[in-house]
Order: sequence, then C-alpha cells, then structure tokens
Amino acid sequence: MIKKEKSLNNFNGEDFAVREHRSLWLDAWRRLISNRAAMIGFVIILIFILTATLAHFFWDYDPKIDLDYSAKLLSPQLTASEESTVHLFGTDKLGRDIFRRVIHGGWNSLRVGLVSVSISLLVGSILGLMSGFFEGIDMNFGESLVLMILLGLSLGALPAWIANQSFQVIGYAALGAASVLLHQFTGLKKTHRMLIFTFAGGLIGLGSGLVVGPLVALVCAVLGLAIGFLLANPIGGSLFSNIVMRIMDIILSFPSYLLAIAIVAFLGPGLEKGMIAIGVVGIPIYARLARSAVLSVSQKEYVLAAQSVGESHARILFRHILPNILSPIIVQATMGLANAILSAAALGFLGLGAVPPEPEWGSMLGDSYKYLSSGAWWAVLFPGLAIMLSVLGFNILGDGLRDALDPKIRL
Amino acid sequence: MEALLNIKDLKTRFHTEDGIVNAVNGVSYTMDPGEVLGVVGESGCGKSVHALSIMRLIQIPPGEIASGEIWFNGQDLLKLNSSEIRKIRGREIAMVFQDPMSSLNPVYKVGFQIAESLKLHKNMREKEARERSAELLSLVGIPEPKKRLDNYPHQFSGGMRQRAMIAMALSCDPKLLIADEPTTALDVTIQAQIIDLVIKLQEELGMAVMWITHDLGIVAEMVHKINVMYAGFIVERGNVRDIYKNTLHPYTKGLLGSLPSIDEAPGTKLVSIPGLPPDLINLKSGCPFYARCTYREERCRNERPSLELADSNGHIVACWRWEELQSEGVK
Repeated sequence: MIKKEKSLNNFNGEDFAVREHRSLWLDAWRRLISNRAAMIGFVIILIFILTATLAHFFWDYDPKIDLDYSAKLLSPQLTASEESTVHLFGTDKLGRDIFRRVIHGGWNSLRVGLVSVSISLLVGSILGLMSGFFEGIDMNFGESLVLMILLGLSLGALPAWIANQSFQVIGYAALGAASVLLHQFTGLKKTHRMLIFTFAGGLIGLGSGLVVGPLVALVCAVLGLAIGFLLANPIGGSLFSNIVMRIMDIILSFPSYLLAIAIVAFLGPGLEKGMIAIGVVGIPIYARLARSAVLSVSQKEYVLAAQSVGESHARILFRHILPNILSPIIVQATMGLANAILSAAALGFLGLGAVPPEPEWGSMLGDSYKYLSSGAWWAVLFPGLAIMLSVLGFNILGDGLRDALDPKIRL
Repeated sequence: MEALLNIKDLKTRFHTEDGIVNAVNGVSYTMDPGEVLGVVGESGCGKSVHALSIMRLIQIPPGEIASGEIWFNGQDLLKLNSSEIRKIRGREIAMVFQDPMSSLNPVYKVGFQIAESLKLHKNMREKEARERSAELLSLVGIPEPKKRLDNYPHQFSGGMRQRAMIAMALSCDPKLLIADEPTTALDVTIQAQIIDLVIKLQEELGMAVMWITHDLGIVAEMVHKINVMYAGFIVERGNVRDIYKNTLHPYTKGLLGSLPSIDEAPGTKLVSIPGLPPDLINLKSGCPFYARCTYREERCRNERPSLELADSNGHIVACWRWEELQSEGVK
C-alpha cells in the first residue's frame, strides 16, 4: 500500500507525456488512406486527372483537322494493320481515333467540373455563410453599407441592360449607400425616406433613359421607382438571409437539367457557357449546406466566447465558423464534381455545351449512339465508360472523405 | 471610491412568437473595483441575460435592451457603437462560460486561441503572444504549459478546458471578470479547484469578479456581496454574511433551505421550493414570487414591493413583510 502511494508521488512529467498531436487534417488524411474504397476512387481520379492534363499539354490534338473517312467506324485493334494505325478504342463515324478523343475529352470534363463547381462553391457558400451568420447577428454600419451598395449595383443592372449603358448602375449604388447613411446619421422618418428614395430612383432611371430615347426612359423610370423604393430602408440581417434563401428556393424549384438547358439556350452554345449554366444551377445546394452548418455552429459557445473577446464579425465568420463547416462543404464539392461531369455530358449529348469537333464525352455519345444498331458498340462504350468511371471515382472518394472528415456521421 | 460598474434600471426583453419575454426587469446595482459579487437564482431568472447585456452580447433581434444605463469606468456601455464595445470586450470585461466542452473552438490549438485576444487587444507579435499564453496557462495551473499550447481542445479534460478559458479571459488583465456558471458542467472536485483558482487569481490580480450560479453553497466562501435574482428582478442584495445570517426574502430562504445538508438523516427528502418560476411573458403586477411564497398575503397579489433598505450595511430586500418575518424569526 505504502509502496503504491510512493510510486504515485514519484511521477514526473515524462510519464504523463502528451500524445503526439495531430491536426484535424492530418487525422482525416490518415483515416482516408486506410479506407480501401476511397483509395480506389482516389486512384481512378488520379489517373483521370493525370492522363487528361498530360494529354492536353504534351499530346497535340486539333479536332478541326482530325478527319479520315477511309478509317471510319473501325473496330478496336491493338496492332497496326495495312489499312490503318493502332486504334485502341476503334474509330468513330468520321474516322477519328476514339482513344485519343476520350483522353482529350477528359480535359474538357475536368475543366467543366472544376470551373462549374468553383462557381457554385464560391457564390453558394459565401451566400450561405452570410445568410446563416446574419440570421442571428445584426449587421453593423460598414456591413450594411457594403450590402446596400452591392444591392444597388445588382438591382440597377436590369435598367442599365435595357438602356444599354452602365452608368446608371452607379446612381443606384449611391442610392443604396445614401440609404444606410441617412438611416445611421439622421432621424428622417421612414415614410419620408421612402418617398424621397422612390422619387430619386425614378429620376435616375428617367435621366439616364432619356439619353437613349423616350420609350427606354419610361421603362427605366418605372424600374427606377421600384428600385428606389426597395433601397429606401437598409436591409437587416434576417431579412437579407430570408431574401437570399427564397431566391435559392426559386432556383431549386426548377429541375436542374431543365434550368441548365434554359441558361445554355439563353447564353448560346459552347463549353464555357455550359460551365456557367452548371455552376449557377449548383449554387443553392452549397448555399443551403453552408447556411445550415453556420446556423448550428453559431450556437456553439466558442462563437459567443470569440465575441466576448471582442473579435470582429469578419474574423468570427472566417476564422471561427468557416473552418468548422469546411468538412461538409468539401464532401459536397467532391460529389459536385461528379455531378458537374455528368451534367456536362448530358448537355453535350443534347448538342448543347461543347461545340461539335471539340472532343467531349457527352457529345461523343450523342454523335455515335445511332451507329449502335449497326454494330459499332465501341463508339458508345468507351466515352460512356469514361463518364461512368470518373463519376464513380469522385463519388466514392466523396464518401470516403465524409467518413474521414467527420467520423461521427455514419450514413 | 468610484464604482467600477453601475447599472441603472436595466431592462432586457426578447421578442418571441409567443409574446415579449421580460427577462430582466429593471435591475440596478453597483460594483466596486476588486469586489466579488455572487449573482444567484434558479434557471431562467435573468442572471445570464443581465450579464450578457453588460457585454452587449444579446442577439438583437430577437433580444432588445429596452432601457437602462450601464456605467463602466465612466462610460455608458449601452451608448457605445459596435467597434467601441469590441474594445471593451475581452480587454476591460472578460467572460467565462458555462460549458467548457464547447467554448473552445475544436479546430484550433489552445495556444492559438489564448494568443488571439493578446494579438487583438495588446498588438503583441506571434512570439510574444505565445510566451504570454504559456505564462497564462501556468498561472491557471496547467502543467507543462509550453507543450500544452500545441494541444487541441479535445486533448484537454473538462477542468483543463475551463482553466484554459479562464486563461483566455485573464489574458488582457480585465477589470471585471464575469463567470457565468463556470463550474456547472464540472464534477465536484474540479468545481472546488476552479473556485479556488478564481479566488486565488482574484486576490493576486485584484480584478472584480461577478460569479453567476444557482448554487448558494458555492458562493458562500468566495464572494463579498450577493444579488439574489428572481424573474428578472433583484429581490435581495447584501453582504454575504447578512444574506446567510439574516435572510430576509422568502425566496432566498427557500434557496438556502433547499441546500442539502451533510448531517441530514439518510432517506430525508430533499427540500425544494414548490412550483415553477413565473411566466416571463405575462408577468403579473404583484410580487413575482407571489405564487410560490408561503408568507404571502392579499397585498402581494396586486402590488409589487420595491427594494427597501433593511439595515445600515446596504442590505436591501423587495418584500412587503420582511420586517414582520424578521421580528417573528420565521425560518
């Protein structure tokens, strides 16, 4: 008994050495690499990314001059014969090597995925972060000033587009700023302010419209009245949050492919337009995800503690809340890449998105499915396989990431 | 001596779907520099809300500080703009919260979080802030502070996290430390350690401490004065000795009576105050404690007693019958 006590009293710091500390990300990485399925996904994606980038930079391909009717619809052959060179995946109806087009198509899919996910990720999560954060915390003077200027700019875009001149946007932005300043520094009555602003908005519209013509001036004046009315009172935090989320709901209420097709139809064909369309359609997903995560993290005491230390809104939002909501967003972005590749293929299949000679998996499918009945299975199989494998890869990597980043969630 | 904190008629309420919740209903008191004040009362009686109002951490909306003045060091905190109040938070008034499990951000190292307010308020450089953080950790009794700086919060136990929170709060030598039930989530031995730690630090650093708790037993040995709050009112206030030895308000009597005693026979039922705190949405015009009071009379139903001075030590009480009850010696 005595001995035991003695040994307890004898401890020194070394015996109680603290476990080696690993950061959250290192921990997540270790969990990820021990997950076999995720590693398979990771390898698929790695191969996909490597072949696509290497081909783009080191294997010249000009789709505009790639044409050889003599070699059309050749079945896959592994060795060169008298008639033709090696066609690993066969050739399509124009005699183009499918292997080459699948590899180069990968570069396009990668671009579409990255660009469109970046669009939806950036816009969506910033909107979601802000609307979640300001749901609970009131905006301060600077924040509402910036918000109202931005609101003036974006609302003013419509009359400026109609009148085809950009300077009236500045007028509305100034109106937004004036609204915050008047609210903060003068005791002007709400009804008076609304009257003045509606009138001022109408004047801005009328004045800048008159430069173009009477009809345009009329339309701009009416729009200006409405914008002035909307800008008269600075928008508070929860109202802002509400407006943003209702806009997101409206976007979500359209079937996503239909909306993407509509946007491409409006913007015109082309891979870049497709990226924008797919990106816009994805915005609400990230906005909702980020908002709900921010709402739950905001309730944590460390956010209150950060406030009680005197930290600024921006710092609390970006240093304390953002890192805590990153994991679901990263997972969603990985899954979103798969979705974007699929959407791009769908657009391509319909003849929207990539413009014809450009190699793109979806449009390759669309070009070749008619020849399936005549036995040219290879022209459909390989681009199809490419789509399937890359989507599968991103999806199982996303699953693995979810497990690795948040082991508490078991779905 | 000029008061450090002087609260005048503070009223805080919340606009909810069910109506307006009157959480704090005209609280006035002063605190001297270096004073230790206990704020006691059961859940939902406005203790935390009044403390958050001092820090201006009430969410607006749904909250609203309807009226009052909070004079701290010669300025009215309620009149400051958002950047001015941020300079007060953390530097002049610091706060320790109830749940040490969630009051540290899980994604940052403890050292980073302590250093944050040093960098913010004292413009310290990285290295300087780190050294000071280590000092602070050793001040609050964490062994091997230099190594511990690089730990994540999940590597700390509950008591250690609360110590780290106290270190964070003390980092800028605040004049007032508000401890909002800092020991509720800890087990009893750790509670005692944390209380001892705060007493020791208070004596060393000379700051004022406001200790919010529902446990009259905890504060008895550490505070100078006690505010007893009920339904957003201060119902009794006085020196700690007067509150315990010469309890005047029936609610305070009830709170003291419900403390379990170590020499009670086994099997004795624990005493409690019957009923629940009043609905803060439809607050009646009478005494807020009327419904649960054993000494009530007709007058208590409709007329709300105001705080009266009971003796020369500044012991004040809001009860119509305190003189009768005192002379009768009702326990």
